Amino acid sequence: MIGEIALHRVYVPALLLLGTLAFVLTLLLGIVLRRLRFYRLVWHPGLVDVALFVIVLWLLALATTHLGFTGSMQT
Amino acid sequence: MSLTLSNPLHATSRLQALLARWPTRRLSFALANTLAVTAALYLAFAFDLQRPYWAAFSVFIVAAPLSGMVRSKAIYRLAGTLVGGAGALLMVPPLVQSPPLLCIAMSAWVGFWVWLSLLDRSPRSYVPLLAGYTAAIVGLAVVDAPEAIFDTMVARLEEISLGITCAALAHTLFFPRDVRGELGRRTAQAIRDCAGCMAQTLAGEATPAQAAMASTRLAQAVGELYALHTHLAFDSWDAPRIAGSVRVLQDRLAGLLPALSNARGALEALRVHGALRAPLAARVNALVRWAQALADASGPADAPALPPALQGSATASPPRGGRGDAALIEQAATTHLLALAALFEDCRLLARAVREPDAALPARLARETRVATRVPLYADRGVALLAGVTATAGMLASCALWILGSWPEGGIAVQFVAIGCSLFANQDQPARVLLSALVGVLLALPVAALYQFAILPGLDGFAPLALALAPAMLALGYMQSVERLAGLALISGITFTGALALQETYQADFAVFVNVNLAQIAGLLLSLAIMRVLRTLDPAWNARRLARANWRALARMAERGCESARTRPVQMLDRAGQVSVRLQQAGGDAAASADVLRSLRVAANLVALEAADDARASRFARTRALLAARCRERARSTTTAHGAAFAATIDGDIAALGDGSRNEADAGALAALVSLRLDFAPLPALANGSVS
Repeated sequence: MIGEIALHRVYVPALLLLGTLAFVLTLLLGIVLRRLRFYRLVWHPGLVDVALFVIVLWLLALATTHLGFTGSMQT
Repeated sequence: MSLTLSNPLHATSRLQALLARWPTRRLSFALANTLAVTAALYLAFAFDLQRPYWAAFSVFIVAAPLSGMVRSKAIYRLAGTLVGGAGALLMVPPLVQSPPLLCIAMSAWVGFWVWLSLLDRSPRSYVPLLAGYTAAIVGLAVVDAPEAIFDTMVARLEEISLGITCAALAHTLFFPRDVRGELGRRTAQAIRDCAGCMAQTLAGEATPAQAAMASTRLAQAVGELYALHTHLAFDSWDAPRIAGSVRVLQDRLAGLLPALSNARGALEALRVHGALRAPLAARVNALVRWAQALADASGPADAPALPPALQGSATASPPRGGRGDAALIEQAATTHLLALAALFEDCRLLARAVREPDAALPARLARETRVATRVPLYADRGVALLAGVTATAGMLASCALWILGSWPEGGIAVQFVAIGCSLFANQDQPARVLLSALVGVLLALPVAALYQFAILPGLDGFAPLALALAPAMLALGYMQSVERLAGLALISGITFTGALALQETYQADFAVFVNVNLAQIAGLLLSLAIMRVLRTLDPAWNARRLARANWRALARMAERGCESARTRPVQMLDRAGQVSVRLQQAGGDAAASADVLRSLRVAANLVALEAADDARASRFARTRALLAARCRERARSTTTAHGAAFAATIDGDIAALGDGSRNEADAGALAALVSLRLDFAPLPALANGSVS
C-alpha cells in the first residue's frame, strides 16, 4: 500500500490518516454545501457525499505525493 | 399460463400487479445488506484480518431501515468499541494473574455501563452499552494469552470499522430512505390520530378506555419522534431546522392531551346539567368539525387551517349571565378549547414544516424552533440501578462457574452473559426477549452447521463462498426488515456468522463447534435465569410505582415551581406514557388510567398558574401548598378530609382573579383553577352553591 507513518512508535497506514482527514474535510464541505442549499439540486445526496469523499481523498493523496510527504512516510 | 404468455399486454399488467404486491422496500433492504456483508467479508479477507466474521456481523448489528439510523449507529458503535477496548486494555494486563479480581473488575465495569446507558433513553445509549460488553468480549478472549490483548483490540476495532463502513456505504448508496421522510410520515400519522381522538372526545363519544388508549399512543408517538430526531443529525441536508421543528412539535403534542382532558372535564361538568349554551356549543362544534377534517386530510399540506371562529382568546368574550358556577365553568371550557385549538394549529404548521422545510412558519414558531434544545426523556433511576446490579450479578455468577468449574469454554459463556444482560437491559421483561433470542440462536446453529460441514468444505475462493452465503444473507436481511422479526433476525445473523467463524483457510472441528456454541447457549441461559430472578417486574406493580413517582414529582412541582416550564410537558407526558403502557400490559385498569390523565391535567394547570403568578410567586401560594399535599396523598393513595379547605382556598383565588379578563395569563389561571377544583373537590358542592 502507500506506506506507514510512525506515531509514537505505533505504525499507522498513511491511507488511514489521509482517509480520516478526507472524512473530516468532507464533513466540513458538506456543512458549507448545506448552507448553500446545494443538496436541493441533487437527486441522490448520499452518492454525492461518497463521491465528494473520494475526490477529497484523491486530492489529498495527490497533494501529499507532490509535496514529497509520502517519500518520508515510506518505511 | 399460456394465455398470459400469448398476450404481452396482459402479461405486463400481471407483472405490474405482482410488482405492486412485491415487498420492494424489504427486498431492496435485504439486497443492500447482503452487498454490505459480502463487501465486508471480501475486504477483511483481502486485508488479512484476524476474524473477518466480526466485520460481517457488525453489518447485521448496524443495519436499520433508515440510512440515517445506520450512520448514527455506526458512529455510536465505533465510539462504544473504542471505550470498551480501552477498558479491556486498562483492566486485563494488571489483573490477569488473579482471575477472581479480573472477574470482579469486569463485572463491575459491565454493570456500570449498563446503568449509565439506561439513564439515557435516546439511541445514544448504545455507546455506553457497547463500552460495557466490548470490554468483556475483548478482555475475556485473551485471558490465556494476555500479551495478545493489544492486537485483539486493534483487530476488533479494524473489523468493526470495516463492517460499519460497508453497512453505512451500502445503505447510503443503494435504496436509501431518509429519516426526514419517515419523520414526516410519523408526525402526519400522530396528528391524524390526535385529531380523530379529539373529535371523538369533544363530541362526548369517547369511552374512558379509548381516552386511555389515546394517551398511550400519543406518548409513544412523542417518544418515537424523540428517538428518530436523534438520527436526524446523521441524515439530511436540512437537519438543524427540522430538528428544531420536531422539538417544538413534541412540546405541542405533549400539551395536547392535558388540554383536551381539561376541556373534556369542563364540558362534562356542564353537560351533567343539560345541553351546552349557544356560543360554547358553536365553538365545540367548530372544533369537532375542524378536527374531523384534519383527521381525514391526507397530509399536513392539505389540512385545513384553523377556522376563524376558534382564534382569539377567552379574554375577548367575558362570561355572560352573572358569576354563577355554570358561567365560570363555561368560561374555563372556552379557555381550554381555544388553547387546544391553538396547540393543534401549531402542530399542523410544524408538521408541515417537517415535511417541507421551505414552507414559512409564523415568526413566533420560527423563533422557537431556532432556540429549541433537546429535552431529556424521563429516566427511571431505580430500574437503571437494578439493571446494572443484575448485569454485575450475572457476570459474577457465570465467572464463578467458569473458574470453579474449570470450564474451558466458560469465558465464552461469560461474554454471552455480558451481552445478554446488556442488550436487553432496557426491556421491562428482558427474560421474555432473551427467550426469543435463544430461539434465534437455535434456529441459526443448524444452518451454520450445514454450511460449515457440508457446503463450505467443497468451496474454494471468494466468489463461490459469497454465492453460497448469499441465500442465507438475503433471508436474514429480509427478516431484519420485518419489524416483528428484526430482533430474531439480528440474533440469528450474529450467531450464524459467528458460528461459521470464516477464516482465511477452511478449518472446521466439530468438537470445537459444539463446545463453543454450547457455551454461548449456556451463557444466554444463565442471563435468562438471572434476568428471571432479578429483573422480572410485574407491569401492574411497576405502573403503580411509576404513578406514585409521578405524583411526587407533581407535588415537588407545586411546592417549588416548575423550574423549566418548557421541558415539563414532554417529560410529564413521557412519564404518563410509561405508566399507561404498563397498565395496558397488565390488562387495563380504568381507574388507574383515569388517574394518569388526571396527573397530566394537574401538571398543565400548574404550569398555567405559574404563568399568571407574580414575581414573588405568592399569588397562589396557599393553593399550591394544599395542592402539593393532595398530590402527596395521591402518591400514598390515601385520602383525608382536607377537601373542603382546599376547595375554599381555590374558590378564594377564583374570586380574587375577578372575571379573568385582564390578560391571557389570568384567563389561563382562572381556567386552571376551575379545572383543579373540578378534579379535587366533589362536583355537586360546586354545582349547587355559588362560588363568589
